[in-house]
This record gives sequence, structure tokens and C-alpha cells, in this order.
Amino acid sequence: MKKQISNLSLNRVEGEVELKLQKDKSGVIEDAFITAHNFRGFEYILKGKELLDALVITPRICGICGHSHLTATVNAMENLYRENGFNIEITQKVKMIRQLTQCSEIIQNHIKWFYLFVMPDFLKLDSSEKYVEYRPFTGKYWKNALNISSDIVKIIAILGGQWPHTSYSLPGGITSDPLKTDLVEALSIVDSTLKFVESNIIGMDVESYLSITDYREFMNKTSGGSLKDFIELSFKNGMEKIGKSYGHFITVSNVYPCIQEAVIKKKRCKFNIKKVKELKESSSYSIVQPVRYDGLPMETGPLARRLTSNTELFVNLNSVFSDSYLVRVWARVDEIVRILVNMKDWILKINLSEKSYIKPKDYKLLSGESFGLTEAARGSLIHKIEVYKGKILDYNIITPTIWNLGPRCKNFKGVAEKAIIGLDSDLKAQMVLRSFDVCSVCLVH
Amino acid sequence: MESLEIRRKSLIWISGLTCNGNSHSFLSSTSLSFNTFLNSVNILFHPALTYDREFKDIYEDILEGRLKFDFLVVEGAVSKEKGKVYFQGFDVYEILENLKNVAEYIIAVGNCASFGNFPALYSEDVVGLNFRFDQKSGFFDVGFTTKSGMPVINVSGCPAHPEWIIKTILSLSYGYNLKLDSLQRPKDFYMYLTHDGCTRNQYFEWKVEAEEFGTKEGCLFYYLGCRGPLTHSTCNKILWNDKSSKTRAGMPCIGCTEFDFPLRSKYFETKLNIGIPEEVPLGVSKRAYIMLSGVAKTFTNHRLKGKLEEADQ
Repeated sequence: MKKQISNLSLNRVEGEVELKLQKDKSGVIEDAFITAHNFRGFEYILKGKELLDALVITPRICGICGHSHLTATVNAMENLYRENGFNIEITQKVKMIRQLTQCSEIIQNHIKWFYLFVMPDFLKLDSSEKYVEYRPFTGKYWKNALNISSDIVKIIAILGGQWPHTSYSLPGGITSDPLKTDLVEALSIVDSTLKFVESNIIGMDVESYLSITDYREFMNKTSGGSLKDFIELSFKNGMEKIGKSYGHFITVSNVYPCIQEAVIKKKRCKFNIKKVKELKESSSYSIVQPVRYDGLPMETGPLARRLTSNTELFVNLNSVFSDSYLVRVWARVDEIVRILVNMKDWILKINLSEKSYIKPKDYKLLSGESFGLTEAARGSLIHKIEVYKGKILDYNIITPTIWNLGPRCKNFKGVAEKAIIGLDSDLKAQMVLRSFDVCSVCLVH
Repeated sequence: MESLEIRRKSLIWISGLTCNGNSHSFLSSTSLSFNTFLNSVNILFHPALTYDREFKDIYEDILEGRLKFDFLVVEGAVSKEKGKVYFQGFDVYEILENLKNVAEYIIAVGNCASFGNFPALYSEDVVGLNFRFDQKSGFFDVGFTTKSGMPVINVSGCPAHPEWIIKTILSLSYGYNLKLDSLQRPKDFYMYLTHDGCTRNQYFEWKVEAEEFGTKEGCLFYYLGCRGPLTHSTCNKILWNDKSSKTRAGMPCIGCTEFDFPLRSKYFETKLNIGIPEEVPLGVSKRAYIMLSGVAKTFTNHRLKGKLEEADQ
């Protein structure tokens, strides 16, 4: 048999991405190349625009994590005010509401991704009737997942007008001034989503789940549900052994109390924005520039967040199964629980008598550079702006997908590329790629 | 009596230069609408949903004449040049050329597919299906119609509202003849203005203006850039996510259903000329607007003067 090349165009991912696999004579993948098409030129479009126009433009980079782009933009602008020596006051009410709506978007993403993109892959490996409810279009679990993911974004609509693509958050606050009954409605949505998670995903109450420290304990305690199905299917297909990458993790911002910023190389250390570099190297197959931290490739996203936050369950899972497909997918499902359980608390902390918006000084007084950091569904998101008298000179965006799916540099292969090498099946290569929650529209924006 | 028979129609959804926001809008529709849609329309391919067949196989079946379908839904801008925009490994240019005479209807979903939108700002060759902004220089020739005799139907918006997408397709599948406006958008949705049904309407009528964000009170038109009276949509008639709208949440309408959405700037302030908005509500002259608002301003609506919660009328 000769060496083979497979070119796979992926569906059930965000956007258009191609995976080129180079295999040896026995069919084992020797090398993998990830290519994304459909460049739209957002960073170029932003050049020369009025600073506040970015509030409308950057969410439109991505239809599934637009709110995170909005937050990154707002953070960059508010930091620019501070860089320019202006005091910018954000009330606790605004902080809570912004976090609540952004996290609603993250939960929407994870539920959709798990049921629409991840579970259908297993239907190709196991066609038994046991999993019939996961089938797209007809399966009960598939339909329920879509319903619940469209329920959770109602919180964004109630507080921010609509989802996708609101720009209700802006320097100084938010545009809305919610009623008490709006908060009650948001609470009901969180409650019903929690019930869904307990009965359909984890098969136990949330408190029990959060006390679990290893996978056997989970399997013993759960009364069944999609996470159990997923774990069983993973073990049956050896998914706990594959999909491992460098074991370097990055989280650039905090979401109190469930996400802590940090970098894990050999040891855990503090994140320092100065160590983030987009390399000028270009590769023959990708228009994306690789990004490195201290010269190293890094994985970002829910698995990184669990490890940088020192969550015991994942520290243990990582020490047994390392950064395999099983652990990476589980971390993304787990994040639904860890965020959701805090949302109720955030809502109850909102003091409606505080101001929604405190008008800052005219943005035309602003010049200089600043960063906006935040956590999106797929991981850490960095916006960097350069402004002169309120006009954008330069806008640079490093999306989570650039960390995870970006190309190789002369020293290292990309994070997802490395995770695919050594596999012997096209389907498993696609599954490992999907475990990073592919978003090519963020990869090439 | 073929036309009266409600056959389950079939649909293929492809994407070009897009953020996928229209797909996610579509997937965020209410369960009632979405389930009705799934029962009425057979989705042969959607890049986020289909798992059992590859696009290349479905595409081949169509090209070989083995498979017929009704709706071609296009999300995202496209290029007038070959080899620029890809979908599932195929050049979108070729997909459109090959399918344009096969589909009964072609539906451009969202502002990118309708008018080119932000991606068209980056490159001259990037267009919507029939338009590039307001110019009829889109991908298809002027006068192009599909097998049904209809031109490309634009369901504009950034993103398009899920109910606009779903009800446009369902109306056509029930055999209703949809009346379109000059930008080829269904009148059922785009003959209304965003302003219609806004909870701040009384403030507009009595000229009580919001000067800052973050309040329940005040109209956003005069100072804060709201395009509600100038934008065609049913955002305040068919609410977003079944709950609200931008203007209800205090965010000005940014006119995202119109061709000039990406061409404008300063979305959060109203351009005034000697104290008068440079653009006045659609359908009235500047003179009429000035006179009417002058009259309204001479009276005080006491209910609307302070905080609504404090008003006792």
C-alpha cells in the first residue's frame, strides 16, 4: 500500500474547515493539517472606524460567541479610558448582568455542541437502538437540547434585547434597566435549565455532582443521562486514550467563582499578556498566524479552565487520562454545571437601584493602546486596540480557536494537529478535532 | 391538483462568508415553530445539523438528476470570482451556478447573503445574491428568477429573525404567493418598521427624549441613534427569542435589516443638523416632522415626565 492523503471537509462544526491527513502505509496518521477558508477581513474593516463602531462590528465576527466579542471590545475600551487617565465607573449591577448574559451564551454553546456536534459521531460507531434518541432531527434528546439552548439565550433577550448579536453593553454600562420581574423570569429560566441538566445530562442533583472527585465516583452515583452515555461510549471506543496534545493550558481572565486565570506549562504560573505573541511565520496551508505563549503552543477552553482553576475532578481525570478526547469533552459538559449553578447567585446579587450606565467622557479624547480579555465558549479571547483621538488605527483579535486550531510554527505543530497525529481512522480524527469545538469563523475572521 | 397537495418540501442550506449568526438565530426559534418546521420541511443538508450524509453525496445526486429539492437557502456573502468562497470543500461560485436552475426557490438569509454586508466592505468581488448594498450587482444577473418564477427572496437582518426565516419558507411551501418589496424582501415582515410596537412609542409621540443609556424611559431616536422609524422589520411585533427587542432593552435600532447597515457609522448617536435629526421618520417630510414635534413639545405629558415607576397616572 502506498502512502495516502485524505482531505476531509467537516460538517457539524462552526464554519468551513478542512482537515488534510497524511498517512503511512498502514493507514496511521503521520501528519495533520488544518485549513480554514472564507476570510472576511474584520480587522481590516475596523481600521479607520470610529471607536464605538466596534461595539456593533466585532460581535458579528461570530454568530455563536458574539457576546464574548462584545465583552472583549467593551473591556478594551474601558481599559483605554483608564490608560488615558479617566476614571470609568462600572456598577456591581452592570458587572453581574454582563457576566450573566455572556455566560448564558456559553451554556447555549456547550449544550448545542454536545448534542448536535459530539454525540452524532458516536451514532456512526454504534448504531444500536439504545442511542436512537440522539439522532439529529428525530431524536428526543437532540430536540430537547435545541429547545433548552434556545431557552437559555432568552436571558440575553430579556436583559439585552436579543440573541444573537446584541450590542447592549458599552463603555460605562449597559443600555437596559431591567425590572424585578425580568430578574424573576431569568431565575425561572436558570431553574428549568438546571433541572434539564440534572435529569438529562448528569443524572443526579447538582450538589452531588460538584462533590465528585473522580470518574468512578461519577459512574457509581449517576442514575443515567447523556454524560454517562458519553463516558461509556468513549471507553468502548478507546476515546480516553486518544486526542492528547501538549498538556499546556491557558486561561486569560476570571469569572468569579468558577473560572480562574493562569497558565500551565510544566508548572502553574500567572498569566502575563506580554508573553502572548502572534508569530509572523506563515505556513503554506493556512492563512492564520500561529500564536504562542512564551514560545509554546497552548490549549485554551473548558479543559484549560478546569485545570487553571484547580478543579479536583479534572486534576484527577487529567492525571489518569491526561488531555484526551474523553477529558476534553467532559470538561465542556462540566462547565455547563459549574456556570449554571452560579447564575442564580449572580441574579440574586443584582441591586436594581444601582445605575445601569454612567456616561464616560467623550471617546474622541482617547488615544493609545489597550487590551480586552474575556472568556468565550471555546476559551480565552483577546482583543487589542490601537486608537488615535477616538479612531481605530489597528484592531487585533486572538480568538480561542487560533490557540487550539492555529497552524504550526517552526518548532511546534498546532495543538489540535498534534492531538490528531497517530490516529488510524478518519472518523476519530474528525472527532478529536470536534472535541476542541471547532469555530472556523473565529479562526479566519 | 398538485398545487393543493401539501407535499413535504425539501431544503438545502449552504453558507458563504458568514458568522453563522443566521443559523444560530434559526436554531433559537421557539420549539413550536422549529418542530412545525421540521415536520413540514425535510432538511436534506444543513452544515450544523446533518450527520448521516455528506454534502458531496447530496450534491452529486442533484447534479446527476437523482435528487430534486425545493429550497436553496444561502447564508453569507459570496464572491463573483471563482475559488474565493468555499462550502464543504466546493467552490460556492460553482454550487450557485449549478443549483440556480434546479431549486424552486432561492432564499438569501441575513444581510450578508442579501446585500454583501460587512464582508463586502473588505473586497470588491464580495456580493449578496442579487445586490451589492443597494446596487443590483450581486452574484446573479438582474432579472434572474428561479424555477418558481420568483426572484431571490431576501430575508435581511444581521441576523435575520428566526420567525422571518421559518415563516417565509413555510408560506412558500403552503403555496402562498409572497409579495416582495423593491429589495426583494417579503412584505409580510418588511412593510413594518422597527418602531412599530416599540414600548417607547409614547415617548416618541410626545417628544420625550432619552439623553443617556440605561433607562426604561425616553425615546432613543433623537439623541441616541435609534433607526427604529427608518428601518423595515418586525422586531417589535414578533419579539426576539420570544421575549424582547433591542429598543425595548434600551439599545438603539442599528438598522441591520437595511443595505446600508455596514456603510453607516456612529450607531449610538443621532446626527443632528441645527437641532433637527438629519434623517426623519420614513414617509414624512422634514417640515412635517418639525411642525408635529414642535406641537408635541409645547405640551407636557405628565405621565412621561419622570421615572415611570413613580408616575401615578
